[in-house]
Amino acid sequence: MKFRINRFDRRRIVWRSPFHVAGYHGAASRSGNSDTDQDQPVLECRDLRKSFGELTAVDGVSFRIAAGETYGLLGPNGAGKTTSISMAVGLMQRDGGQVLVDGEPLDPGTTGLKAKIGLVPQDIAIYPDLTARENLRFFGRLYDMPRAKLRGRADEVLEIIGLGDRADDRADTFSGGMKRRLNIGIGLLHAPRLLVLDEPTVGVDPQSRNAILESIEQLGSEGLAVLYTTHYMEEAERLCDRIGIIDRGQIKAEGTRRELAQIVRENDRVRLSATGSLHAGAEAIGRIDGVQQVDVVDGGIDVLVEQAGKSLMALLSALDEASVSITGVEIDEPNLEAVFLHLTGRSLRD
Amino acid sequence: MKALAIAASNLRRFARERSNVFFVLILPMLLILVLGSVFGRGFEPRVGLVAPGTGDPTSALVEGLEAHEGFVVHRHDDGDTVVRAVERGELEAGLILPPGYDEAIRDGSAVEIDFIARTGQDSLSIRRTIDALLAEQMALPRIAAFVSREAEISYDQALARAAAVTTNATGVQVAATVAGESFIARRSWGQFDLGAQQQLMLFMFLTSLAGSAALVQTRRLGIARRMFATPTTVRTILLGEGLGRFGVALVQGVYIMLGTMLIFGVRWGDPLSAVMIVLAFGLVGSGAAMLMGALFSNDQQAAPVGVFLGLGTAALGGCMMPLYVMELFAPAVWTAAHVMPHAWALEAFEVLAIQDGGLGDVLPFLGILLGYAAAFYVLAIWRLRVVLTR
Repeated sequence: MKFRINRFDRRRIVWRSPFHVAGYHGAASRSGNSDTDQDQPVLECRDLRKSFGELTAVDGVSFRIAAGETYGLLGPNGAGKTTSISMAVGLMQRDGGQVLVDGEPLDPGTTGLKAKIGLVPQDIAIYPDLTARENLRFFGRLYDMPRAKLRGRADEVLEIIGLGDRADDRADTFSGGMKRRLNIGIGLLHAPRLLVLDEPTVGVDPQSRNAILESIEQLGSEGLAVLYTTHYMEEAERLCDRIGIIDRGQIKAEGTRRELAQIVRENDRVRLSATGSLHAGAEAIGRIDGVQQVDVVDGGIDVLVEQAGKSLMALLSALDEASVSITGVEIDEPNLEAVFLHLTGRSLRD
Repeated sequence: MKALAIAASNLRRFARERSNVFFVLILPMLLILVLGSVFGRGFEPRVGLVAPGTGDPTSALVEGLEAHEGFVVHRHDDGDTVVRAVERGELEAGLILPPGYDEAIRDGSAVEIDFIARTGQDSLSIRRTIDALLAEQMALPRIAAFVSREAEISYDQALARAAAVTTNATGVQVAATVAGESFIARRSWGQFDLGAQQQLMLFMFLTSLAGSAALVQTRRLGIARRMFATPTTVRTILLGEGLGRFGVALVQGVYIMLGTMLIFGVRWGDPLSAVMIVLAFGLVGSGAAMLMGALFSNDQQAAPVGVFLGLGTAALGGCMMPLYVMELFAPAVWTAAHVMPHAWALEAFEVLAIQDGGLGDVLPFLGILLGYAAAFYVLAIWRLRVVLTR
């Protein structure tokens, strides 16, 4: 039996690189949020505004991210993602709005709060003529990490990012993917409460990209708040608990992938390749809750259902009871590309 | 501490670029050696002399020329050699006496002497000196020739009488009073002294400005913004980067001072004061480098512009033409030279090395240099903040 889901499918990942997070102990997981209000977001951006001359780059962007949550800003190039996160991490002067980190206001002049944030910029911001270890130690010093702790933590991060065996090699001898991983490692080094990643997989080979995405999934599950910008729909769908769709400096819609899919009122489509009494099987499927439409087609049954994941077992059981043999399952879920097109009238790749 | 971390990283990266060792440590010493050898010796012009005669007039002229402090006399056997040497710049001037010089002087007859010179101030000065020497030397023979002819006695008798008369003559005494400060008399640099001071200033500033590319690269790679995303202020970032440049300039400065002192015997004056000048000038150079690094956004442009500015400011600031020469021949240029920090540092070194001054004497110069450094750093911090947060 073949089984396929037509969106980015985390279950089909078989390669596992050394770039997995073996016990990330971020500030959030260490403290157990004992010093912060459980309901208080780690990052809250309110009505951020920024213009460059006549160009309005960011126009009233607001979002909030809780501990353990991965929030994605999805939009095409030039949508205002990088400008938004530059203001969110206190790098850029705002024309308006407010940024709160753990409830405290953050501005470019603020220094202390920045220790709670780990930034992974879109550009690979590492010294090419320093080794991986030297790069990590250099930034660790800037985060006021004590030397003894920094040594151990740098080694730990080098293992996390899979560069333990290349720790003392200069960064300019690394592949693009390795540099990207070091770029991320620097953001993780001081165990921040909030990790901000600005398109971290741009220009990365598929293998390294997958490894990076795996690690970010792991970080989110271990209590770190993650702000992730991308123009890759698949990454946003795979990683993010909630997604803000941004275009022309404005968040057009926000919610979980499912909530966003509701905007275009599309259902999941399940194609069941089968033999036997297909009409009887279709009749049985039609009685299942959530099924919107059933069609017998050549060599199988097409089903429109609200949530394929929830209904799949019921569908298979119904067909089994109707003595229908299933040879393959294919699921088409409504993707964010369709949502983006619906909201903006143009493609993410435009 | 963060500034030190940034500076340490800066220095580590600098040390890994092997060509830097050549430009920072080897090239300055080579240039000091070359310039000292060519232009050193107190900038004394060289005069070639062909004097085939062996009589008293020739001997007296040669002694007079060799005793003169304004130039150095090199004896040659033939005129062609002297002419070629002047053409090649190996000599500033040449003087060729004819074979019958002694006899002509004795006879009081006309004699033609060839004077060959390159264009420039040196040749005029040499010509005036030789004219004066010849006039002085020709006085007695002329008198003797005149007396011999008029009194109908032998030339030798006439010469003896003329010499006796001249010895007894009281002559005219000129009482000289020097008004103001002398330009030349107070300066007595050794062969490598002035060149070493000039090259010290030139290279410290040049190395710093060329190093501004490092800050531009840090910005271009996004590392400066990343640093600013840590709990680190723009001021700390810039001071750290500047400290790295300052460290390089300081090492280079002290190295040149010690090296030239030991190898070429250069006098730097009071060691503490000299180091203070190097420290202050290093701050000026690193401040200027930080300002350039904050202004430029492309390190490919910053490096050559840095070299151009480094050489240009050094030239105007007295590192290629001595300030006293500017003061003598182009007062406006001398005034303009003092827009450059190099001029103040060079004058401070002159106070130490030539006038045997101490720290108190160079304090005004140090104040001016620190003023330059502060201005550069303040402007650089302002500019970098604008660049990083816009």
